[in-house]
Amino acid sequence: MTAVIALDAVSHCFDGEAALTNLSLSVQPGESVALLGPSGAGKSTMLALLDGRLRGWQGQASVLGNQLSATRSPAREIRADIGFIFQEFALVDRLSVYQNVMNGRLGRMKSWPALWGRFGEQDHICVTRALQDTGLSDLAHRRADRLSGGQRQRVAIARCLAQDPELILADEPVSNLDPAHAERILGLITGAARSRGIGVIFSSHQPDLSRRFADRILGLRDGEILFDKRSGRVTSEDTDGLYHGASAATGLRVVS
Amino acid sequence: MGRSVIWGALALAILWSLTSADMGLEKLPGAGPRLTEFLGRMIPPDLSIWPEVLRGLAETLRIAILGTLFAVILSAGLAVLAAETLVPPAIWRPVRGLLAVIRSIPLILVAMLMVGAVGLGPLPGILAITFHATGMLAKFYSEAIDNVAAAPVAALESAGASRTQQLRWAIWPQMAPVILRDTVFRFELNLRESLILGIVGAGGIGLYVQTYVRSFQYDKAATVTLAIVGLVLLSEALNTALQKRFS
Repeated sequence: MTAVIALDAVSHCFDGEAALTNLSLSVQPGESVALLGPSGAGKSTMLALLDGRLRGWQGQASVLGNQLSATRSPAREIRADIGFIFQEFALVDRLSVYQNVMNGRLGRMKSWPALWGRFGEQDHICVTRALQDTGLSDLAHRRADRLSGGQRQRVAIARCLAQDPELILADEPVSNLDPAHAERILGLITGAARSRGIGVIFSSHQPDLSRRFADRILGLRDGEILFDKRSGRVTSEDTDGLYHGASAATGLRVVS
Repeated sequence: MGRSVIWGALALAILWSLTSADMGLEKLPGAGPRLTEFLGRMIPPDLSIWPEVLRGLAETLRIAILGTLFAVILSAGLAVLAAETLVPPAIWRPVRGLLAVIRSIPLILVAMLMVGAVGLGPLPGILAITFHATGMLAKFYSEAIDNVAAAPVAALESAGASRTQQLRWAIWPQMAPVILRDTVFRFELNLRESLILGIVGAGGIGLYVQTYVRSFQYDKAATVTLAIVGLVLLSEALNTALQKRFS
């Protein structure tokens, strides 16, 4: 079985400071992986690299069987197969929820009809399903800038689901959601991984949720993988060490 | 210390302006009766000239519409060259400088030059409005380009959207309301400014104002003034209504 993600000795520096150090990783189809780690651990950098948006890194990386380049974006067809849920949502404020979700389908369409707003039947079906799955059907015609933070995050998730990707990369996808919505969304994303055999990697600051929904957890700190374990084997010592270690490294004291 | 210097300088400037020898302040007491006399001669307005007034208004409106249209076309091209996010400083800096120079030349001066170049009539008016409005619109449009948020564009690119699709569904929706709002605002300004172009022979209703005032036909000048006030109020109401839609 071809791995959906294969990293081999990948490193990256920001302004001379190491952001990723010698990362090697393989993710199989149908597998859900959670990235845990304090802010600045390299989670977003790693996800941007896998999405083909990072420049100037070293090493070997392939996604969905395609070698990534450190100097240019992947081809349009490859980008269409990789869904990304942005931490800051990245919605077009003046467009409706429906059109924002439809934007996720653009990579699957011919360029010209889409310019006039003519979308295919399959595109409408995917958008409607994604809106239902994220509980947004009633808000479909509301403008994105008239939504709450949690609703906006669900639109960003619906856009990714409508894309019908072969791999989902999610940068803290449930950080703005209440517990009920967070569980529903993580269940939806990781459920898609199992039922459709696609890969999922999501970053999070919530060890308990990660343990419940991911098959595997990667502990990341200072750009290095501290542990890579099946979810059931990750202990509270592992996660405590991940966060408290960083606190010591940054000079902060942890008060319990 | 700094603040008292500024207040002192301001007081001096006002005092200097008031005490200037050629102000002719002594003429003020006589102005009231004279103004009353003028106003008396304006009432009742001579409404028999309404066909001419309508023709003049129509020509003014045409100058404003065509001047705005050509300015929009020119500005679209120049805005790209003036946008910090699209071209290197070696291009946008001089283009922005050129736009600033264009904006600083008074419209009436441009109109006089155009009358000299192409003769009397609405054409010099259209050219003058085009030239003058381009200085402002191209600057506004380039700012609209520079203010486009990058994240939604990156999100569409990440999802596999082509460049034209990104332009249509992430860049244009962010720019469109700003561009439409600025264009409507500029059209209203163009309409107001083209009202006076006739005074220098560059077409429109301004010619009638000048003709009637110079020939002491104040009742007719009153009719033209009323028509101008009506048109300006109408365009202002239209502008306000459209601005609300673009928010």
